[in-house]
Amino acid sequence: MSTQTISGSLDEYDDNKDMCPICKTDRYLSPDLKFLVNPECYHKICENCVDRIFSLGPAQCPYKGCDKILRKNKFKTQVFDDVGVEKEVDIRKRVFNVFNKTIDDFNGNLDDFNKYLEDVEDIVYNLDHGVDVEKTEERLRTYEELNKQLILNNIERSKKDIENFSQRQQFEKEMKLKKKLLERQIEEEDRFNKEWAKKEIVNRLMSSSGNDTTDVIEGVKNTVKLKKSSARRKLEELNRVLKDNPYFAANNMGQNNRIKSSIPYTPFNGDRDLHQRFEVDETKYNDPLVQELEKRKDYIASGFRTDFIYERVLTEAFMGLGCVISEERA
Amino acid sequence: MSESNYTKEKKVGEGTYAVVYLGKQLSSGDSIAVKEIKTSEFKDGLDMSAIREVKYLQELNHPNVINLIDIFMAYDNLNLVLEFLPTDLEVVIKDKNILFTPADIKSWMLMTLRGVYHVHRNFILHRDLKPNNLLISPDGLIKVADFGLARAVPGPREMLTSNVVTRWYRAPELLFGAKHYTYAVDVWSIGVIFAELMLRIPYLPGQDDMNQMEVTFRALGTPTDKQWPEVSSFPGYNKLQIYPSPSRDELRKRFIAATESALTLMENMLMMNPQTRWNTIQCLESEYFKELPAPSDPADINIFSQKV
Repeated sequence: MSTQTISGSLDEYDDNKDMCPICKTDRYLSPDLKFLVNPECYHKICENCVDRIFSLGPAQCPYKGCDKILRKNKFKTQVFDDVGVEKEVDIRKRVFNVFNKTIDDFNGNLDDFNKYLEDVEDIVYNLDHGVDVEKTEERLRTYEELNKQLILNNIERSKKDIENFSQRQQFEKEMKLKKKLLERQIEEEDRFNKEWAKKEIVNRLMSSSGNDTTDVIEGVKNTVKLKKSSARRKLEELNRVLKDNPYFAANNMGQNNRIKSSIPYTPFNGDRDLHQRFEVDETKYNDPLVQELEKRKDYIASGFRTDFIYERVLTEAFMGLGCVISEERA
Repeated sequence: MSESNYTKEKKVGEGTYAVVYLGKQLSSGDSIAVKEIKTSEFKDGLDMSAIREVKYLQELNHPNVINLIDIFMAYDNLNLVLEFLPTDLEVVIKDKNILFTPADIKSWMLMTLRGVYHVHRNFILHRDLKPNNLLISPDGLIKVADFGLARAVPGPREMLTSNVVTRWYRAPELLFGAKHYTYAVDVWSIGVIFAELMLRIPYLPGQDDMNQMEVTFRALGTPTDKQWPEVSSFPGYNKLQIYPSPSRDELRKRFIAATESALTLMENMLMMNPQTRWNTIQCLESEYFKELPAPSDPADINIFSQKV
């Protein structure tokens, strides 16, 4: 029992993520310890050991039982905790650099594109799991030879896409900044105008004693309204530019095409009966009982309207006309 | 009209007067909800709201109003068979994992207004519109539900009780205790829901009835006789703090993402004076629904939170 526990803990000690298995340096003692791996065998070795062992040229991996010859310049930092994942990502990176077609290269033919993706996936799987490695490598090489021009073109294109994207982001950022600036300007002007109007009203009222005060106040308010600033105009201009932004237009094209529905929009979805079977001529219709209510304060304040009453009563009166119950039942 | 055609499989909710079960319609295999009305021995007869619900739902048939499929009696209990609706707007608003766009909001508003328009043209007042009562069907359609407080439009001399509508969605004339209100109370509720959809928090959350007036008027201005004739004749209109109506700019700042026509629609739905408040027809014809973005297709709106 006790030996088992000890060996278990020993294993754990060996597995310690923070210790170099070659020189047994511990992160506890040297906090800036860094691990590197080589895509040949993915064995984890600390930076110091890499320097020490491989500075003088290629050498064998120091792990027991690993006979791979490693070079210093191929060492890299491990991104993923799981070595398996790390390895697959590396393989994918390499394969996709060669097999970099997009669906456009197949003229949008989804079946062909899927077949191509399946092939690429096969190659990745084979390389990752060590199935027919030599044959697969050969396949990769021949493809690269045959499609050199296409591969270069595609690399160029993806570069352009990235550039375009960053340009667009830059443009949007600038526009946002401008907008904010203008808005702040407008706010300030508004505040200034308000102050000015207040002062102006007081001044004018002082000088024009006895005149109609509301006229004076209205006059000042109107001048303020006319003053609506150039900043506001600029903001409107900017909003227009943003609306038909060239970058957005290019971006949204695909979406808009998709959304187009076959049924055009109508507010009531076609479910509205505009054909009323009656008309109320209020000048000729004398209904003292209801019309008296129209003048009562509590009715006015509640939003009471005689036309609601007439509409309901008349609709209910005429609704049944033209309906035959025996037909409705069936 | 028989019990044997339906199964009750799972209890999904319980209210003060009803228990809701999930079940299946045996003849078609469709999912349904069964609302079993509790009959208490201490009461005489059925609960008022159950009667109202049956009375008005029987009359209404519209894609945006909940469908009453059947009614049956079992063990002296009244059971309403309703269509099965998995979620509601309140859940969607509260779930921060669900993202929705302005086009989604427009689609929901459109469906809600169409449903309420249908209720109103059948001369029925809903009187309890709130996100919790706007249910959503599996294919994304909004269904106006819970007609427990609904009633037919009264005759001209009948009195109505002003103690209706959940507090946060209560129109100002109800806060003042109006006895002859109209369809306008429902439009106000939809206006508040619209604001809530844009803010994703309740717009006018009053803590009690007095506080509700305070909150409402602070946000939207205290009404005066000038914009709302005879408002001062209400018994509840006294000792009010006078707030100015908010300017367009203030509203713009509160609702950052809203377009100008969205604000126009909201302002007109949240008009203090019920006489000038828009009706559902005016709302549906507003510019907001015509401008871009077009309302989303209900089936495309994501209403369930995605756990990653």
